[in-house]
Amino acid sequence: MNTPVPETAATNLETEVLIIGGGVTGAGVMRDLALRGIHCVLIDKVDLCAGASGGNHGLLHSGARYVTTDLDAAIECRQESERLKRLAPQCIEDTGGLFVAVEGDDPGFAGRFAQLCGTAGIACDELTVAEARRLEPQLSDKLVKAYRVPDATVDPFHLALANVDHARSLNGSIYRSHTELLGFEVADGEIRAAQCRDSRSHKPLRIRARQFVNAGGAWAMKIARLAGCADVDLRYAKGTLLVHHERITRRVVNRLRPPGDGDILVPGGTVSLLGTSSTRVQDLEQVGPTVEEIDLIMREGSAMIPALAGARYTRAFSRVRPLLQGGGPASDRAASRGFALIDHRAQGLANFCTITGGKLTTFRLMAQKTADLVAARLGKREPGTTASVALPDAEAGRWTEPGAAPRHWVKLNDPSDLILCECEMVPQSAVDSIVASAPDGAAPAMSLEAISLRSRIGKGPCQGSFCGIRVASYLYDQGHFRDRAGLAALRDFFDERFKGQRLVTWGAQAAQMELAEALQCGLLGLDSLEAE
Amino acid sequence: MTMAQTAIPTINFKQAALDLLPPGANFGACLTCGLCSSGCPASGLENMDPRKFIRMAMLGMDEELSTTPWVWCCTLCKRCEYVCPMKIDVSKLVFLARGNWPSDRKPAGIVRSCKLTQLGASTSAMGMPPGDFVMMVDDILEEVHTTQPRFAQLRAPMDRHGAHFFINQNSREPMSEPEEMVPLWKILDRVGADWTYSSKGWAAENFCMFTGDEQAWREVIQRRVDAVNELGCEVWLNTECGHSYYSMWEGIERFGLDAHFRMESLITYYARWIREGKLPVDARWNTRGIKFTVQDPCMIVRKSHGDSIAEDMRFVVRTLVGEDNFVDMQPNRSANYCCGGGGGFLQAGMTDHRRAYGKRKFDQIAATGAAYVLTPCHNCHTQIDDLGHHYGGRYGVVHFWTLMCLSLGILGENERRYLGPDLLALIE
Repeated sequence: MNTPVPETAATNLETEVLIIGGGVTGAGVMRDLALRGIHCVLIDKVDLCAGASGGNHGLLHSGARYVTTDLDAAIECRQESERLKRLAPQCIEDTGGLFVAVEGDDPGFAGRFAQLCGTAGIACDELTVAEARRLEPQLSDKLVKAYRVPDATVDPFHLALANVDHARSLNGSIYRSHTELLGFEVADGEIRAAQCRDSRSHKPLRIRARQFVNAGGAWAMKIARLAGCADVDLRYAKGTLLVHHERITRRVVNRLRPPGDGDILVPGGTVSLLGTSSTRVQDLEQVGPTVEEIDLIMREGSAMIPALAGARYTRAFSRVRPLLQGGGPASDRAASRGFALIDHRAQGLANFCTITGGKLTTFRLMAQKTADLVAARLGKREPGTTASVALPDAEAGRWTEPGAAPRHWVKLNDPSDLILCECEMVPQSAVDSIVASAPDGAAPAMSLEAISLRSRIGKGPCQGSFCGIRVASYLYDQGHFRDRAGLAALRDFFDERFKGQRLVTWGAQAAQMELAEALQCGLLGLDSLEAE
Repeated sequence: MTMAQTAIPTINFKQAALDLLPPGANFGACLTCGLCSSGCPASGLENMDPRKFIRMAMLGMDEELSTTPWVWCCTLCKRCEYVCPMKIDVSKLVFLARGNWPSDRKPAGIVRSCKLTQLGASTSAMGMPPGDFVMMVDDILEEVHTTQPRFAQLRAPMDRHGAHFFINQNSREPMSEPEEMVPLWKILDRVGADWTYSSKGWAAENFCMFTGDEQAWREVIQRRVDAVNELGCEVWLNTECGHSYYSMWEGIERFGLDAHFRMESLITYYARWIREGKLPVDARWNTRGIKFTVQDPCMIVRKSHGDSIAEDMRFVVRTLVGEDNFVDMQPNRSANYCCGGGGGFLQAGMTDHRRAYGKRKFDQIAATGAAYVLTPCHNCHTQIDDLGHHYGGRYGVVHFWTLMCLSLGILGENERRYLGPDLLALIE
């Protein structure tokens, strides 16, 4: 967006702890520290969950997926998922999960699987094929084996928003989106300040802090190098997922075989996410799905659920998972999904640490370990409380759940509260609420992407082609956009949505795309915006 | 509320759409473009519209959809399906939702009309028994014989086996304005039609279809089919009534009934008889250039015959009132808007909603500047008449048969109740 950063943004910020990276881990560290009374600033060069946190299937692992490859990770998942179901139920749907084998799958795997689940303490009940198909009628008639496990789904956006919101309300900790880290000022074995800039206005910003946390996820190695640290060694695995615009199962459905491509279907509220693939990549910035990956995922997924072969997909996307470089086996699937907390003391820095690796399910534990280190370095000895303090409901996070906005709207039954997003039925009042809880320094000029991230806007079958225009118009009406700012914002928003649709353009979605093109190019002329 | 209401069961609409709609046109194919909603007069009533209906189904809001009274505001006119680029038929699911309401919670007027239809052999929604119908036809015919010497030989055959046409009759005429039956008899006489009424299954209207009760709908149609088969008529000729045609045409197909006859609309025959020279109507009577428009009944145009019958209707009207005196409503033919008299709305007891729905129709009529609306549909007729009174319109609503007899100079004195002073002045 071309709108300048508002006057409230200072060129200098001071805090006790600067956290770099607005994934769930960074958000979790922010809340954990705020609960200990420590003031933080959290920055992200894009916005919350812009990396792997927002680009996964939203599975809250029971741990069963990992029993055959990493028993410790499996146990950690079991413990953390049980805890999160208790402490953050608003972000979780306790769907339950199934592991299913179809004809041709290794029958020996099932026995090992059940036994190891027992060892890890993960409830795992064998079902007859008939029972499984009664629970999930879409399952293949070639099913040969089925187990029920306590998998669930979690909304990472809701989770991150609620963590940030809680931290902000606890002690005025600050979250700034679109704040890019350029470098560190290091003196006497300590980082003194971080040099940043606003990625939209390019206005420089210097953040002074006593402690610095690198929660950059896949970018953690690059961030560590900016501080001169060479001890973060990551490799990158690109994962690709498909979004089917209908929910076709009640439960998570996993393939009962060693972890592999296209082995999971996760319901996400009213949609379904089918994944994943795993491919080594070197570049972090230019990742996207390929036709081969999509074909592979659909083929593998439809072995479990045949309807997936003819389903309408609205989106495909890829994100990079940071995997910790260990020695050992070459397969990325086998690489540890555990996390690493690196204190960088050996690199000569006393107030910098890096937290990376891990997974969505264990984000709280990762945040707690990080906060323990940071608090200790600040001389604060009281333990963290995120293992027992429930995550409060946050206004900021209430619109991310599919179906939440229409339920609110129907209940309110106010015809003057116009629906802006018809696919997901998001009304004006939801947009008002989202703009009101914008990141620090971002209101009132929130981008359409930022509003989309905090709601279901742009995520239905139209992929933003109607709601984008309507929300932009509404923001013009409200005085948030002036002149051509809204048009540029629209173009950026559509570009972003288009990336995800490019490779799933067939059938009904192709008709949808033609309509989108007519609106975006024919009606609004966004394709010639710059030329004018 | 003093008495506990029967609960409305919850329908799984997404699944129902998969079961009822063809692949590629189920709710999952929706582009959310909103063509349906922007062209639906029921949009906004009860805070609903067709697109919201689809999206709420897709978002699993089955309880809300199962209980929304909007399903009684939607007139099942199928305009949404007509304009939909994916051809999604929302009305099928609205029909399902209607049928899902317990009888004691459905609009009482529609349920009562259906019950009456089911009661007797007449299948009359106004409960007129066969004997009364026969007697009324005889009485009126006798009156014509005595008061209109030109028509001393006029006939209205009853239960005549082997007649070519079986002609049905909307109950409104024999029940409350019996002299309105006469113009059609005169037309049939003029063209020399081989026709008969039936004392059984003669009535046109079918409110059972509007209750969403398929079993009741089927029973009514079965009785009518039996009546036509019994008389061995070749053509079941539907009078100037919209839903009677659709409910028979769709019902026979839907329930797989064994009908030994063709179904035709009177409009088709009006046009044919004019073309064949059997019905020598013209517009010479319209010396003052009185303007007319037509309301295309959804039931016989968009929902069954399509544009061909709309063209026939325009041919008839142009011939009858003069090329220059016909002003088409916009939009028209299959894209025409329902007036709000369909779907049982007139009997639903939701007067404010019905008139809000009809406001668009009123505006469309006003935009034509026509003094009269011609429509071969009783529900359109009643609704458009009511809209005129309510919104202060200055138009009249007339049947085709009235204007035809006027043109032929054979309209009896007590057959002119729908003519305004301007038309009456032309007769004098």
